[in-house]
Amino acid sequence: MKKILPLILLVPCLALGANNHHNPISSTSFTTVGISQNVTNATPVKGVVKDETGTTLPGVSVVIKGTTTGTQTDANGKFSLNANPGDVLVFSYVGYTKKEVIVANQTNFTIVLSSDSKSLNEVVVTALGIKKSEKSLTYSTDQVSGKELTDVPTDNLMNSLNGKLSGVTITPSASGVGGSAKVILRGNKSVAGGNQPLYVIDGIPISNGSNSNGQPNSTYGTAVGQGGGGIASTNQDGGDGISNLNPDDIESITVLKGASAAALYGSQAQNGVILITTKKGKAGKAVINFSSSFTADKIAYQPQFQNTYGQSPTAATQSWGPKLTSSAPDNLSQFFQTGTNFTNSINISGGSEMAQTYFSYANTTAAGVEPGNKLSRNNINLRETGHFLNNKLTLDANVNYVAQNVDNSPGLGFYLNPLTGLYLFPRGQNITPYKTQFELPAVAGGNGAPTQNWPFNEDVQQNPWWITNRDPNTSNRNRTIINATAKYDITSWLSIQARGIDDRTYDTYQQDLYAGTIGVLSKANGQFLLTNQLNEHKYADMLITFSVPGKSDFKLDGILGGSITDDHVDGTNIGPDVNNNYNGNGLIIPNVFVPQNLDVAADGSPVQNLQAVHNQDQALFANANLSYKNWAYLTVTARNDWSSELAYTPNESYFYPSAGLSLILSQMLALPTDISYAKIRGTYAQVGNTVSIPYATDPLTHFGTGGVTLNSVAPFPLLKPERTNSFELGTDLRFFADKLSASFTYYKSNTTDQAIAILPAFTTSFSKGYLNAGNIQNSGVEFTLGYEAIHTTNFSWNTSFNGSANRNKVLDVDSKAGIPQVVLTPNNNNSYESILATGGSYNDIYGVTFKRDSQGRILIGAGGAPETNNGYNYLGNPDPKFQLGWENNIKYKNFNFEFLVDGKFGGQVLSLTQAVMDQYGVSEASGAARNAGGVKINGVNATTGVPVTSVDPYTWYSTVGGRAGISENYMYSATVVRLREASLGYTVPFTSGAIKSLRFSLIGRNLIYFYKKAPFDPEVTMSTGNGLSGVDVFNQPATRNYGLSLNATF
Amino acid sequence: MKLRLSVAGLLACVLLAVTSCTKNFEKYNTDNTGLQPSQFSAALIFQGIQTALFGEEGNYQLDQNLNADCYSGYMMSPDPFRGNINNLTYSLVDGWNQQVFSDAYTISMFDINYIAAVGTKASQPDFWAIALILKVETMDRVTDKYGPIAYSAVGKSVTATPYDSQQSVYNQFFLELDTAVTSLNTYIKANPGATPFQKYDLVYNGDYTKWLKFANSLRLRLAMHLTKIDAVTAQAQAEKALDPTNGGLMSVPSDDAGISGGGYHNPLFVITTSWTDISLGAPLQTYMTGYNDPRLPVYASPVVTNPKTAGALPATYAGQYIGIRIGSLITAKPSYNSYSTLNPTTAVSSSSPMIMMTAAEVWFLKAEAALRGWPNAGNAQTDYNTGIQTSMAQWGVSPGNYITDATSTQAAYTDPTNSANSSPALSTATIAWNAGATNEQNLERIITQKWLAMFPEGQEAWTEYRRTGYPKLFPVVTNNSNGTIDSQIQIRRLAYPQAEYTSNGAAVKAAVQLLGGPDNGGTRVWWDVAKANF
Repeated sequence: MKKILPLILLVPCLALGANNHHNPISSTSFTTVGISQNVTNATPVKGVVKDETGTTLPGVSVVIKGTTTGTQTDANGKFSLNANPGDVLVFSYVGYTKKEVIVANQTNFTIVLSSDSKSLNEVVVTALGIKKSEKSLTYSTDQVSGKELTDVPTDNLMNSLNGKLSGVTITPSASGVGGSAKVILRGNKSVAGGNQPLYVIDGIPISNGSNSNGQPNSTYGTAVGQGGGGIASTNQDGGDGISNLNPDDIESITVLKGASAAALYGSQAQNGVILITTKKGKAGKAVINFSSSFTADKIAYQPQFQNTYGQSPTAATQSWGPKLTSSAPDNLSQFFQTGTNFTNSINISGGSEMAQTYFSYANTTAAGVEPGNKLSRNNINLRETGHFLNNKLTLDANVNYVAQNVDNSPGLGFYLNPLTGLYLFPRGQNITPYKTQFELPAVAGGNGAPTQNWPFNEDVQQNPWWITNRDPNTSNRNRTIINATAKYDITSWLSIQARGIDDRTYDTYQQDLYAGTIGVLSKANGQFLLTNQLNEHKYADMLITFSVPGKSDFKLDGILGGSITDDHVDGTNIGPDVNNNYNGNGLIIPNVFVPQNLDVAADGSPVQNLQAVHNQDQALFANANLSYKNWAYLTVTARNDWSSELAYTPNESYFYPSAGLSLILSQMLALPTDISYAKIRGTYAQVGNTVSIPYATDPLTHFGTGGVTLNSVAPFPLLKPERTNSFELGTDLRFFADKLSASFTYYKSNTTDQAIAILPAFTTSFSKGYLNAGNIQNSGVEFTLGYEAIHTTNFSWNTSFNGSANRNKVLDVDSKAGIPQVVLTPNNNNSYESILATGGSYNDIYGVTFKRDSQGRILIGAGGAPETNNGYNYLGNPDPKFQLGWENNIKYKNFNFEFLVDGKFGGQVLSLTQAVMDQYGVSEASGAARNAGGVKINGVNATTGVPVTSVDPYTWYSTVGGRAGISENYMYSATVVRLREASLGYTVPFTSGAIKSLRFSLIGRNLIYFYKKAPFDPEVTMSTGNGLSGVDVFNQPATRNYGLSLNATF
Repeated sequence: MKLRLSVAGLLACVLLAVTSCTKNFEKYNTDNTGLQPSQFSAALIFQGIQTALFGEEGNYQLDQNLNADCYSGYMMSPDPFRGNINNLTYSLVDGWNQQVFSDAYTISMFDINYIAAVGTKASQPDFWAIALILKVETMDRVTDKYGPIAYSAVGKSVTATPYDSQQSVYNQFFLELDTAVTSLNTYIKANPGATPFQKYDLVYNGDYTKWLKFANSLRLRLAMHLTKIDAVTAQAQAEKALDPTNGGLMSVPSDDAGISGGGYHNPLFVITTSWTDISLGAPLQTYMTGYNDPRLPVYASPVVTNPKTAGALPATYAGQYIGIRIGSLITAKPSYNSYSTLNPTTAVSSSSPMIMMTAAEVWFLKAEAALRGWPNAGNAQTDYNTGIQTSMAQWGVSPGNYITDATSTQAAYTDPTNSANSSPALSTATIAWNAGATNEQNLERIITQKWLAMFPEGQEAWTEYRRTGYPKLFPVVTNNSNGTIDSQIQIRRLAYPQAEYTSNGAAVKAAVQLLGGPDNGGTRVWWDVAKANF
């Protein structure tokens, strides 16, 4: 098969080559264009364009078909132009169905354009960017218009989808402006691979890579055990690729949730696909859109403190001291600031029927709620679309440039995080002196550098302002995405298309640690880390699309294609030599952060190559669709992949099929007239996925101490791709002339042959090994319900619900090899672990539990403190059992009001923040317990059997609290119901002038928590990777945003 | 237009066709930062084995510092790790103690297995001898902490590895030392003065005669561990070690076996200075202040007070030596931060070697052998005095009248912060040798002085405390072992890592059978027998 691949790819080449030379049609196309351009006896025609409700539409493009002649409607929806009888006028407007009208003798037209909200449903962008009729789809899809992304803007466009789609779980990260978002479609599937969907722009996959930081996977944030040797990695979120895009460039988003919808994309689409269709230039006079928005962000909640008891006399870092004489100052307000987000974007679109241009520029300037956290992003996008050779050839090219800079992305976890020092600061003490003077003059006999002004010496805390001013980090990203498509219609039933993309991201990341930073993290003279990374993603494909001509009840169409995907990440790391953990001063001269100043051991090197990752996947695929009388549709796909990740294994190739059927009952059968549309659908699909475990098949030795350090990973020469088998059944219904629509889907998927990284017993001498095993099952239901409640000229109300429930079950990890569990996040000696165990679910939280007697009473040991069970035990799972969104869109004359309420129900989360605050005696709970004279418990003395109902608060919280305490005590319900977003808009009724439309909106996001029991927002995550789910470790609180936006069209 | 289109079309096709080939897949999936086995010699691994013996500070802290270094009475942490419920209050922290297994097996044993696998045993028997000595030294530290360990079967399977009884492990140690000593003797005779190992040596700069002495001294140390469980083997192995025809023993400080250089720096330096996670233990402080030991300022730094630092001791304590008692109630780090630390400019400076074994220790081992009447051990009193003198010489201090001091004894311990930790002295042992004293009294003298000389090698000090009961150490103040460890008998071993139960369950359960008691800190290992020394 290896050798056949190039041959097959050459077949379309020959076909294309042949037609290029011998197709006589190309010459006639010039003739046709020539005729229409030689118009001499045109007469004026005029008219007005309205929507279905009779409202006039300004800015509608009116073009004579086949020419560049055209105009736009004015503010009153009127147009006039010169045309010949027989010319075809084409009316097009965003959000409305295109309409063509032949000019006969009539010279005054009234054109009614119908809203294309239904037509959107009728034509759906599917895998590979292919548009299909909604009827023929055998699986469920969800669509979101670009407007929904930009109504209430955020700095990561995926957060705008939160709550709007069934079966989609979006969790924003706690990492301030420029942070990533975790997007999971129908549950987590892969143990070692990613679980986030594939992002596709205009049919072509792009990269969603972060910088070399990636995502943290330790409750400390930073890598543990690297401190004394200097920083090997840090705890900031590297930001994701999707957040780089300008939401204003997006026409619509289609979400393909199941494997079946994505079978043609192969490996990367196992977790579903987010298809983004971007705006193209439109024929007609240039249209300029300008939009601007400003939001102010405030923390949405803060931890609850006690204000009664002061600093402990013997343990000055804690607040178990005597009662305060006056109330404690509010130290948090000294730190948190009001964040801002100012986004301006402009786009220009225009062109002729032959060539259209779209250009946009956007600028985002944002500041986070933690001081120093800033984002600045500039996006430039230019798209050209051209039609040649009598419209037989379409060329489409797009250049996208993103420059982004993020400063001081907030630290997460126990280390290098300003919130630990801020929250734990003794109650009753005023933190202001440490804010105004975060550093002290150099000490005599020292290295001449200022020192940190902080009274405590503990690894978990530093002066918050020292961290924000003297431990700064910067992430810089330059990204270019260049893609091009050429499509040629060979005949009316056969076309060929070639596409390619080069998505190149260059990241630099620098973390400075000034002299005076705590010794666990830095060195005497300071320390720094500089990383350069190039992430290049290339993809090319060729598709032959056919549809068998003929007038039969049966119709057959399909695609044959081949693709090649090449991902390459490479770079260098400059900083402490992690291979040679030198205990020098870090820097030669304090606080000069250049590579030449690194203090390195004689045989060490401050510069290291990052371990490059180069994956290439080649594929051949085919798709055939057979339909009967427009009511029965059968789809089959087949794909074969060859993957470089399987090099050194016996088989680099793997195959997988899918099949689906949909029936339009409303056309098949005579249904009651109230049912305007009824469809049932079912599909089965398999997707293979090679999990990227670089070099697992052939691990090599590394440079290290004394020359080399052996790599004690057991080689894995039998790596196989993991496979997801899935099926779904569903129905789509519309009632009462489409006023009410409903959709329901049941799905189930099993992902097997997981590449599982195991930790062999130490005594085997292997530190790591891999196995192919496992079976993770996701099953669930999804529904959407839409209702046009009111629809009159002046007033309309549309409402919709979406809901979904997913059950994730780990059916097996590896019972054959006797391996019951895989650790996703190790405990690092803190009381949180993320474990995937046979019989459990993905993201299960494990921790330390109380030892209880048969009656469930807590056993109290000799010292009066509760006893604990051995090891780490199951505490809960943070994933919602059910999620529900309720969207409303109300229009009254020129006002519109939109709001979204959503709820995530069920699940439990862990707050280590609360645990440590309790241990330090700063929390409200610790104060209340002291006021009450003890912590009320249902316990029993372990030796005497005497019931214990109250425990001394200090004894209790110093055992139960803390980062290594009894985490069972800190589990909270993850249920949260909120007013996710709301906007109130007013469209200024212009009648004339340069401005064609103008709209102002008041906008808000995360406005009200209707229900929230956890001491933090359970949705916000510390990592968007596979670990650290459902745990809060001094994460930046979620924010509440308010603002104003303006949209103008010229 | 036609021409351009066809060129573009063909170009796109050719591009696809040319790149559509899997021949580059192996290149893409090869680690660009890696080394193929053909690109390096196995000799380059030796430095890693040597540095892994104690490890970098992060490893060392968990491997030894937060267990044996404190259980031996040398040190104590001022940091209330895990709310003060940790190894130091006898609540064994699995996540800490598993580091011992991780380092010993996935670094040292893996590397030594690799050296064997590439044929070093036949091609370079002298290098293989060094590997075996390092293997025994590394794994003795593991078996003495746990009892039965995986040894003979390590590296044969990725899923299950059976454990050997501790007796079997010791027998393998002795056989491996036999091979090492024979190979080195053969090599030295054939190639006098040759130093092929010099480039890779962080201990003796390639001097095989010193490696030979270390091997023999190590044998003597291991032999002495067995006095209670197997006196016959103990004496036989000791005699083999003492037999000068086998290459002799370490006798002067230049013979001391310590690891330094090659980019390796003393982990205790960072733990003491940057992390401020370790301080002087109350037992070492009280013996040394009681004995007016001239080594005290070399080993430790006095109290430094600073009124600006929260929880610091009052200025009246400045300049005194005050250690911390194990199991003290420590609530927050600043409260014990100003107590005496190890001296980061002398004993635990960044460049000072991490000591595996000293000549002084060997003299005390000989003193005990002589006390037990074993041949070739010399005179107990001479050995004892030479041990003290050798140690003083090692640290560059003058013994003065230390050796003849027949009155000084351990001082009482007073904790200025919390009197609940204070304790009267436990020992009445004096320094000067007393030929008229009982064997038991003189053994206490030998082991106590050996303990003072072995600092900061807490692993061997803890082993010898468990074997002999000396020096007498303050029991933990707080015992969070839930009744598994008796405060007076003190901790006898560490519990096996939970990870072994998860991934190698059958083997570790069989090992607990071999251990002969529950897998906790109260069960004695094989050579640790609850009976009299004589």
